[in-house]
Amino acid sequence: MTDAAMEISGVTPDRFTRGSRLVDALSKAGLAFAILAVMLYGSFVSPAFFTSGNLLNVLTSMSIVGIVVVGMTFVLVVGGLADLSVPATIACGAILSLGLQPMIGPLPAFVLAVGLAGLIGLLNGVLVGYVGINPIIATLGIGTIGLGIVQAAVGGVIVYGSNPASAEFAKGRLFGIPVVVLIFLLIALIGHFVLSRSFWGRWTLATGGNYSAAEASAVPVQAVKAGAFVITALASGISGGLLGLTLQSARPLIGAGYEFSAITAVVVGGVSIIGGFGSVPRAIAGLIFVQLLTNVMVLGGVRTPIQGFVLGILIVGAVGMDAALRKRGVA
Amino acid sequence: MTAAADCALDMRGISKTFPGVKALSDVNFAVRFGTVHAVVGENGAGKSTLMKVLNGSYAPTSGTIKVGGAEVRMRRPADAQALGIRMVHQEINLVPDLTVAENVYLGRMPGRWSFLRKGEMVRKAAAVLDELGAAINPRERLGNLSISQQQLVEIAKAYAAQPRIIVLDEPTSSLSEHETAALFRILRKMRDDGIAIIYISHRLKEVLEIADEVTVLRDGSMIETRPTEGITAAQMIRLMVGREVSNVFPKSPAEIGESVLRVERIGDGTRFRDVSFDVRAGEILGLTGLVGAGRTEVARAIFGLSRLVEGTVSVNGRKVSINSPSQAVKAGIAYVPEDRKGDGIVPGMSIRENISLPILRRLSRFGRIKRGADRALAADYVKQFSISPPDGERRINLLSGGNQQKAVIAKWLAAKPSALILDEPTRGVDVGAKAEIHNIIGQLVAGGMAVVMISSELPEILGVCDRVVVMRDGHACEPLEPAELSEERIMALATGEEMA
Repeated sequence: MTDAAMEISGVTPDRFTRGSRLVDALSKAGLAFAILAVMLYGSFVSPAFFTSGNLLNVLTSMSIVGIVVVGMTFVLVVGGLADLSVPATIACGAILSLGLQPMIGPLPAFVLAVGLAGLIGLLNGVLVGYVGINPIIATLGIGTIGLGIVQAAVGGVIVYGSNPASAEFAKGRLFGIPVVVLIFLLIALIGHFVLSRSFWGRWTLATGGNYSAAEASAVPVQAVKAGAFVITALASGISGGLLGLTLQSARPLIGAGYEFSAITAVVVGGVSIIGGFGSVPRAIAGLIFVQLLTNVMVLGGVRTPIQGFVLGILIVGAVGMDAALRKRGVA
Repeated sequence: MTAAADCALDMRGISKTFPGVKALSDVNFAVRFGTVHAVVGENGAGKSTLMKVLNGSYAPTSGTIKVGGAEVRMRRPADAQALGIRMVHQEINLVPDLTVAENVYLGRMPGRWSFLRKGEMVRKAAAVLDELGAAINPRERLGNLSISQQQLVEIAKAYAAQPRIIVLDEPTSSLSEHETAALFRILRKMRDDGIAIIYISHRLKEVLEIADEVTVLRDGSMIETRPTEGITAAQMIRLMVGREVSNVFPKSPAEIGESVLRVERIGDGTRFRDVSFDVRAGEILGLTGLVGAGRTEVARAIFGLSRLVEGTVSVNGRKVSINSPSQAVKAGIAYVPEDRKGDGIVPGMSIRENISLPILRRLSRFGRIKRGADRALAADYVKQFSISPPDGERRINLLSGGNQQKAVIAKWLAAKPSALILDEPTRGVDVGAKAEIHNIIGQLVAGGMAVVMISSELPEILGVCDRVVVMRDGHACEPLEPAELSEERIMALATGEEMA
């Protein structure tokens, strides 16, 4: 018998088996401390950090990724690894919500764009949940196809907005808070409610925690798994639509990199990469930390390669911590 | 031979303390070469902890260990293996995607200059399996085997390493009587070869049959070590629980009513066909047979976890078509699976979250789970089944096997089924919890539920069930009526000595 097999024998690998409350509290407090530390450091590095202009900027750009993060949390929790089709769904949302404006008006264009993004998610979901294809491969494939179609549809050129009123709205403020931020908060609240309070959320956690047991407990596991990808695609579609409206232009590669930003945030927030554990607030805490850190690095004049280096270490560190916690649960 | 050389293992004054728990206190445990030494005790008595100390997984807080007369210090399982100590776990620890032969020789594959000698490996594995009397093709992918066959592969793997001391943890829990007899033959052969065999089991009858000596543990302490000659199962139980357990299978008489679940000529196209039986309200129908006869497959298909290609299923006289577990639940059928860890519990969730899982929708309004109803449901069952610790918020994987099983049964009762299928419900649980589970089943049928109980344990089948269906090679016999029930009759049907 191999050592590894001996090591894990007879004990369920579990994240917080022993001293669970303490470790749980520490992992939550740890992130809060990290956020405070970054803010403190930021205020030393640059006087520009604590200006309302800078913080609003961070908040706005965070909101666009944040909407995707809410969806991505479902994908990780359900045990679906990651959704790599996010750039395609964002592009779909952005390009269609601008491109369709002259034909059907801004609001229907937006809704249709999000709906079509959701369709891409449905394809992902069917492949992953019902056919059983590895999520990385399925979403990469569908994403590439989706992006290709979107590119072909607009002829590979940039699409511009034609409805100033909708641009005003997207860039506007309500009670002094940018509309984009408000929409993000609303979506985060809904996402949190669904994951933590609704039966769908409980099903999502159960499916990620033990697929066969959930299946044997009459949980519609295939639909739940597929649903996570639909949720992510809808969120990305909304995110892309808002991005297009704010920028008033959209190119096919507008969403490039968002999938990694979202995955980074979720993982740094401590959501388990193999499923069954996590929450929307955790993922958002991870997002805040990563976004602030990036902002502070930019303000502090840290060069781009170094920034990538730091973010990479963060991801590896977070995933390593997840693995270590599991192992500790075993001992 | 001197006394010291005769002694395969001598553990003295072993204590093991976890933060807040004393799992073992001052345990003395000695095993001689060429004997089978049973270790018995209720779940939580310290058997597993003691064995984990023995195989190097845990370092003892205090105490000494001598193997073959020499004091040793083991810091990891590899140290124990190097000393010739092998362990066969109750749970399968093999690689499903490798072949049987590759699993048997995992980590010790024969070869030269890092080139694998596949032919030699297959030949050697075939020889070992043959010696064990297991009809398993060494080239078969492990994952294609049934659980009982995988268990035999696990034993073959330990045996192939030619150990000095071999520990078997509940080796028969997934074996049929027939396979158990084969295992005992090989254990006796290993014993006669001079191997020291440590045999952990809840099945006292087997302990009496195979073991030369028995050590009883209770609450982390060694209660007694004595020869099995002259001791009875009742005496052992008394030592284990510290009290007298009068009737191992308490049976409450229930009024038998109308037929609730009826299956007619069902088949899945491969593993079973032409299976018919019915179970009536207030009745416990036993479904037994050798492992691999198709019992679990029948249950899973009725519950919609796999497909039926022929035959009909009716509930309360109405024909139902079931393609998924949720349709089964709607039809009034519930199923407590055989593999508790794999199919029964969601380990990261609390008792409460596990119990309410099948009926979450009923507990929700506008998608939101009603917290009060969720909590009350769990609290009810925790109390009714005296699940310990009595805290619904406890993570279910922190409970003992028996308590996990009670929670899994509770999960299904919450769905208020009219027919309940229990697949090996008392497998791997201790004597006390077993009696409690039998009690629960008794209450259910008293309340008018129809119960199908799958079990490999004949005394359990005979003690609990009203009628019994025996399966062999995917076929089922006519239900045996109470007057026809005997171990001999069931074995004859199960092994094919008597045709159904």
